[in-house]
Amino acid sequence: MFRIRFHARGGQGIKTASRILGTAFFLEGYEVQDFPRYGAERRGAPIFAYVRASKNTINERGIINKPDLVIVTDDSLLLLPIAGVLLGVTERTVLLIATDEATELWKKRLNLQGLVLSISTQAAVKGHAGLPLLGAVCVGAAAQLVGVISKSALEEAIHEQLQPLGKVIVEENLAAAMTAYDQIEAYAGCTTEREDPSADSYESPDWIDLPFEDASTSAPYIHAAATTLNVKTGLWRSLRPVIDLQQCNRCALCHIYCPDGVISLDAKGYPQIDYQHCKGCLICLAQCPLHAIDAIPEPRQEGEIS
Amino acid sequence: MKESSLKSIKDLPSTHVLGPGTPTCAGCGALGAIKIFCDILGEKTVFVNAAGCMTLLTVYPFTPFKGSWIYTAMASAPAGAQGIRDALDLLIRKGRLKPEEDLKVVVLTGDGTAYGMGLSSTSSAIYRGLDFIYICYDNEGYGNTGYQFSAATPHAARTATSKGPGGYQRYKKDLFAIWAAHRPAYVATVAGAEPLDMARKIEKAKDLKGSKLFIAFTPCPTGWHFEPAKTIEVGKLAVKTGVWPLKEYIDGKVAHTRVPLPKGKRPLVEEYLKIQGRFAHLFSPTRNEKVLEKIQSGVDAYWESIV
Repeated sequence: MFRIRFHARGGQGIKTASRILGTAFFLEGYEVQDFPRYGAERRGAPIFAYVRASKNTINERGIINKPDLVIVTDDSLLLLPIAGVLLGVTERTVLLIATDEATELWKKRLNLQGLVLSISTQAAVKGHAGLPLLGAVCVGAAAQLVGVISKSALEEAIHEQLQPLGKVIVEENLAAAMTAYDQIEAYAGCTTEREDPSADSYESPDWIDLPFEDASTSAPYIHAAATTLNVKTGLWRSLRPVIDLQQCNRCALCHIYCPDGVISLDAKGYPQIDYQHCKGCLICLAQCPLHAIDAIPEPRQEGEIS
Repeated sequence: MKESSLKSIKDLPSTHVLGPGTPTCAGCGALGAIKIFCDILGEKTVFVNAAGCMTLLTVYPFTPFKGSWIYTAMASAPAGAQGIRDALDLLIRKGRLKPEEDLKVVVLTGDGTAYGMGLSSTSSAIYRGLDFIYICYDNEGYGNTGYQFSAATPHAARTATSKGPGGYQRYKKDLFAIWAAHRPAYVATVAGAEPLDMARKIEKAKDLKGSKLFIAFTPCPTGWHFEPAKTIEVGKLAVKTGVWPLKEYIDGKVAHTRVPLPKGKRPLVEEYLKIQGRFAHLFSPTRNEKVLEKIQSGVDAYWESIV
């Protein structure tokens, strides 16, 4: 059985990518599961999707903890523990990263023994909106890496899944996927299947057994106030708003319009952005009457956010 | 009615009651509006939240609220509010809760609930004279489930369930008129993009006895297909072009708190429509003059009937 895990940010099209890969496997005669993980599936938030494919009946369920192939469309996710990219990655797991940094650098940074491959985002085929089609790029590469999906099956799967979105979108995604498929030809079939689980070798997940308790203990009561402070939605951001306090006239509009309430005013009335929670919507930038707010690409150094 | 203490936008509270870190989409119009409601209502509240986008605010073990919050099914938030109001009244009457410890009961629902599934229970609650505040964040569709149409979806908008060439064929329900016809203590339309108008109305209504109902216009970047940075711009244009009237019902009378410029001087409705992907089919590949005119004349007719 092939076990493939996708990691992306919301909006990069990874749920659709997993669906396309699943469809292509199916067209090649495999039994397939493909599904995204339900959670904060918001633009910019870390997103997970999974594909299982086997010639036999698949009895395994749930998220994939021991992947054969891991695909990452956004290299900033590799530095986020919450994204769990390296969960269950061993020396036999193939890791494919859409990145513009050297593969060796990532291998060293992540201290990985297995095969690490990269695919350029800058060179990737761009869609009509001017953004690289990372979902299609990754599905093209994945189809090649598993070694059992022909170009024609991939093409048919893309047609099947994207047809409702119109001809332009089908064509551009097809181009992006096929380019990636050819680009990674040297590694065709480098992902290997692992045996299907049998009842004897079944390892139960890390359950925590909870005793039965009455409703006052077991009901999901939250007794503390404003606990969402512990949720770092700043991780979603791809652009960071930066206020030039020299230009700011303390009109406080950014503070009032920020939907998340993450722009506070200091004692003198100057706005301060809480980057741990700012989602990067840039309403502040759009509404600042003096254009004192700029947007810069999010720095991705380790530890920058937390 | 005494004059509002909120003279300018500078008078709005400088700290926020609602905490950050919620899972709403970046640029969420509804969150921005609820933030202002919380700022004016304070911490002594209990929110009764019908299923919808905003139930995601509180996902165990996280909540942005400093006061209480309870979850209900879509159709039953006003019934939940009735139970909580009765419980608070009983506790106060029996001396187990001091009158100053009383909480404001606030129903929070989306338009799917307010205009549709929950309309019956709301009607009953107003009819019984329930002392509560109702906030409907109107993002004109079922936002939390992939943006299907609701009874609040405007004519011609594309949604996940109105993908045809003409978009949604029906017309938005007039919930303000429906609610006002019950003769509650207070009804208002507000817009997240007009925080001062909104804050003044909340301040005016919050201590009235009886049902106080708000319909908040809250653009949805995800469902309406525009960049999150434009949430306020879209909201402001809805008010300026006359699409979203800002008004209130109090003491048996309806008054407009903002009247757009007269016809010919105010921007055309298409200025509002063309910056949203859900109306893109009205402009490309060719302009759909017929539908654009129909929408414009609907708005013009409304304001002619007012002035």
